[in-house]
Amino acid sequence: MKKILVANRGEIAIRVIRAAQELGYKAIAIYETPDTDALHVRIADEAIWLGDGPRKDYLDIAKVMKAARKSEADAIHPGYGFLAENPEFAKACEDAGLLFIGPTSEVITNLGNKVIAREIMAGANIPMVPGTQNLVPGDEGIKHAIDFAAQYGYPMMLKATAGGGGRGIRRIENDSEMREQIPMARAEAKAAFNNDNVYLEKVVINPKHVEVQIIADAFGNVVHLGTRDCSIQRRNQKLVEIAPSMIQDKSIIDAICETAVKAAQASNYTNAGTVEFLVDRDMNFYFMEINTRIQVEHTVTEMVTGIDIVRTQLKLAFGKSLLFKQEDIQIRGHAIEMRINAEDPKNNFMPEGGKTVNIYRSPGGYGVRLDGFVYQGYTIPEVYDSLLVKLTVHGYSWNETVDRLRRCLRNFVIVGPKTTIPFYLELVNDPDFQEGDFDTSYLETHAHLLDYDEQNTEINKLAKLIAEIHYKEENTYAI
Amino acid sequence: MERIVHGMTPKEALQILRQADGYYLTNTARDLSQSDFKNRILLHTDLLAAESRENAQYFSLEITGGASVHVDILRKQVDPFLKLELLREKMPTTMFQTLCRGVNLFGYRPYPQNVIRFAVREFAKYVDVWRVFDFMNHVPNMQAVFEEVQLADKILEPSICFSTGPEHTDEFYVGKVQEILDVTGEDIILCIKNHGGLGTPKRIGELVAAIKQKYPELVIHYHGHNTDGNDIGRITAAVISGAAIVDASDHAFTGYYGPPPLLSVIHTLNDYGKTAVGLNEDAVIESSEVLRNERDHYEYFESQFKGFSPTVQIHKLPGGAMGSSFEQAVKGNFLEQMPTILHDELPKVQIELGNWWSVTPGSQILWTTAVTNVLEKDRYGNPSGDLKNLLLGKYGPFPFHRPADWIYEKVFGASWKKILEEEGGVEDIDDMDIDKERETLTERLGHPPTEQQLVTYLQHPNDAVNFFKFEEEFGKTYVLPPSIFLRRGGYKLGESLMFKDHYGKEHVIEIGPKQIDEKGEWSIYLNVDHQERNYTFMEEAKEAAAAAGPQLSKKEIEDLSKAGDMRATFSCNVCEIAIKEDDEVAVGDKLAVVEAMKMQTPVLSQVAGTVVEIHAKVGDALKAGDKILKIITEVE
Repeated sequence: MKKILVANRGEIAIRVIRAAQELGYKAIAIYETPDTDALHVRIADEAIWLGDGPRKDYLDIAKVMKAARKSEADAIHPGYGFLAENPEFAKACEDAGLLFIGPTSEVITNLGNKVIAREIMAGANIPMVPGTQNLVPGDEGIKHAIDFAAQYGYPMMLKATAGGGGRGIRRIENDSEMREQIPMARAEAKAAFNNDNVYLEKVVINPKHVEVQIIADAFGNVVHLGTRDCSIQRRNQKLVEIAPSMIQDKSIIDAICETAVKAAQASNYTNAGTVEFLVDRDMNFYFMEINTRIQVEHTVTEMVTGIDIVRTQLKLAFGKSLLFKQEDIQIRGHAIEMRINAEDPKNNFMPEGGKTVNIYRSPGGYGVRLDGFVYQGYTIPEVYDSLLVKLTVHGYSWNETVDRLRRCLRNFVIVGPKTTIPFYLELVNDPDFQEGDFDTSYLETHAHLLDYDEQNTEINKLAKLIAEIHYKEENTYAI
Repeated sequence: MERIVHGMTPKEALQILRQADGYYLTNTARDLSQSDFKNRILLHTDLLAAESRENAQYFSLEITGGASVHVDILRKQVDPFLKLELLREKMPTTMFQTLCRGVNLFGYRPYPQNVIRFAVREFAKYVDVWRVFDFMNHVPNMQAVFEEVQLADKILEPSICFSTGPEHTDEFYVGKVQEILDVTGEDIILCIKNHGGLGTPKRIGELVAAIKQKYPELVIHYHGHNTDGNDIGRITAAVISGAAIVDASDHAFTGYYGPPPLLSVIHTLNDYGKTAVGLNEDAVIESSEVLRNERDHYEYFESQFKGFSPTVQIHKLPGGAMGSSFEQAVKGNFLEQMPTILHDELPKVQIELGNWWSVTPGSQILWTTAVTNVLEKDRYGNPSGDLKNLLLGKYGPFPFHRPADWIYEKVFGASWKKILEEEGGVEDIDDMDIDKERETLTERLGHPPTEQQLVTYLQHPNDAVNFFKFEEEFGKTYVLPPSIFLRRGGYKLGESLMFKDHYGKEHVIEIGPKQIDEKGEWSIYLNVDHQERNYTFMEEAKEAAAAAGPQLSKKEIEDLSKAGDMRATFSCNVCEIAIKEDDEVAVGDKLAVVEAMKMQTPVLSQVAGTVVEIHAKVGDALKAGDKILKIITEVE
């Protein structure tokens, strides 16, 4: 029997364990001490303790490899985050004769380096946001940057070549800022990534974030599973994702999807990946990057295509060819995923870790999918991310999907930590969201959605008194 | 037959009253609540009865004043102004009546003139009829209220407090009426305030007749209590002798110490050919049908002692103080002393202190003095601050005779004459800087107060702030019926609580399980409008008990105090800290003033030394044995 080591935690570990167990494989969990009570440890067939962590053991390639050897794993699924896009981890697996469920370490290396990735894409005529190569050091580089800005116009983004996840990016508005910021950005990049290379990119103002799920086997077959829109973000972290994109012009969507397939082919991509684009208001689209991992939001694509992406990932890793061709893939209806995080949206989305989930009651019914890992009585570790559960709903029309989502949010009861649910309840009632009209500026331009009254409704106040009378068995404010 | 309604000028109302063929009724719901339910009848209940009470067409509904303003914020958690506003919505025509303690307003001791005038102006926006009294029948104590009520063009009802004894003659009371008319003019209603339900029907009939003989045009309102079970007799005699208005209340809630049932008054007087003008008997019955179901929820607040108390003629406690006296006796564990206190000591103290009127705040002085005299077995040996003030004449001159010299000597020591000379006389209270108080309140609330909030605050500063904060935390809780608000023993698992909030929205709360975890944290689960919620509470009782340590005996507390470790000797609130840290104090110096049972008592130093630590602060509620402050004695 095949054994899959799941090198991750939280909901994505559970997602992979489920797929592995459905295929008749054994799933091996790894965990750090704070995750001793975690659900992924409980449902896995075996679990291996890595260390006290936090986080550093999940990130420790040697420890994970040791766990893989110890459990005699045949393959490793990295999930997302942690080691998922670390080419050294993929390389370590390759060297140890273990199947890494994802693209090869070479592909990860190439696509992880923004400059190399842009070179590959340029070679394949993939449209990209106008940008420079790595700027040469000193005044010459600054002069080149200023000339480039004169050609394409401000604002510009100055990015660290080795950066990622929103780090090492700064916005430049004019020449004098350019002169000041380049040396600072270099110093910062050097400190943060041990690589002081920076480059420029034109800023696309208030774009939509549209991405394409691609799947490629080792035999040269590449298909796409349509688009997703992940424009609703806060601080470059996605909150709400939908499939397919709400762009109505089919020719644009087709062009984006075909471009994504071309990009995958150009980079010799294998397994599942995501090609991200920015789409401006004039429907120009630009390649941004390829994520070489399973993504949080893969669920919406699964809902509209009916294809189990993780199952497909496992099969491809074990050498199977794609079972479907592009023409077999149909996009049916709409899906929306909301990340229910233990965060206080009113307090700048401050994480609510350390709190116990006193009540957990989830919605169900037609078109509803939950990917979570918390349970009633579970105390959320403070040391990991705040995602509790992904609520994904599927509907025939966009309106039906939004209605279903609203119903689910209303019926979702999580007592203990504050969550993003009350904010989402405001969001589903926002006319722009109901129209499917949103871009990456959505949260900034809809800040009023955070004005919901959570604790101080009259009934909440009264209920508090009633709870106290019940607890004390008399009303000490009246006796 | 013209009805008297809200909005009429005093002149219009008085004209109708003077020409009326028959008598009018005031529903004294407030006095009923105060006398028989420790003032706890909730606005929710009054709102239920509002429609039928409006339809009953009373002369007035007495619904505010007395101690109720304080209890509204302290124990009912309702804004006394909002209460009137909401009742007015449901009762557009009925006049609202209050009971005002003159210079003591709705509190227990004198307020500055500018506070009194400010408070009357604000309340006069809601209150049509102002019954005003002073426990010494000292007219100047009521003058500021008189003036403001008349300025606001509301009906002024000055009272003569009534009692019995050789000094309490018709001549005396007729003289008092003249004193009042001298300052108010003719356009008033005169109240005979029989707060204890004293005297016989014959005596009350004579008094009314004597006043009517001297002032035939004067409209008289007789107010009594049914403590001895015979107030209907007195009411009947009063009306036959010419009283135009009398007090009673809804039979579904009548008890032992408050007003008698309205219907019984109506039926009795009918037989004497006296008709209650405009009264709708069916509506009176309907009110009680509505109220009857609510009474069970108030059981805890009813007197522990059932039955009428005809011995009130001996001890003279006012109806409003009966229930609380027995409650104190139970809580203070001196129930078996009650016959001695009520039937021997209290009448004796009453005579010794001047045989004036046992009504707030005088009744509290008499009661506390009698209780202390009996419990301490040392008559006048532990005088309260209020007793001292009384003896110094700060509340007004003694109407009949001054207490004997030996009492002064016992209370003030050998130099009592000097003290009396230097400190005696009616206290002139300086005006308060109201703007400064507004600033202080703004600071305490975190936002500027409304004028109404300021009025409430000026009378009861700490309790008002607590109430405002309660409201911010728990909302407008008057919407909760007594079955919810006053529930004892917790709710039943699965019970559904339904109510409308202040804004009119319907809610349902279902009671879920109540669990404790190993750390002593309780979880209360409620289903609030179909949303599960959970509320956690730490076992406070356990925590507090552990922190408090073993309870000290009275002897231990005294010993500590003698060593400079001043402790509270009984449960009390701190009103004043008279010294600062590092102050030098001598034996007998005033360190602090505490208040219990509405009486202030000074805490005197029992040692000479230096104040090193002050534990208590103004507003603190202390239990017996709690630390107040510490004095280090001088090293010899």
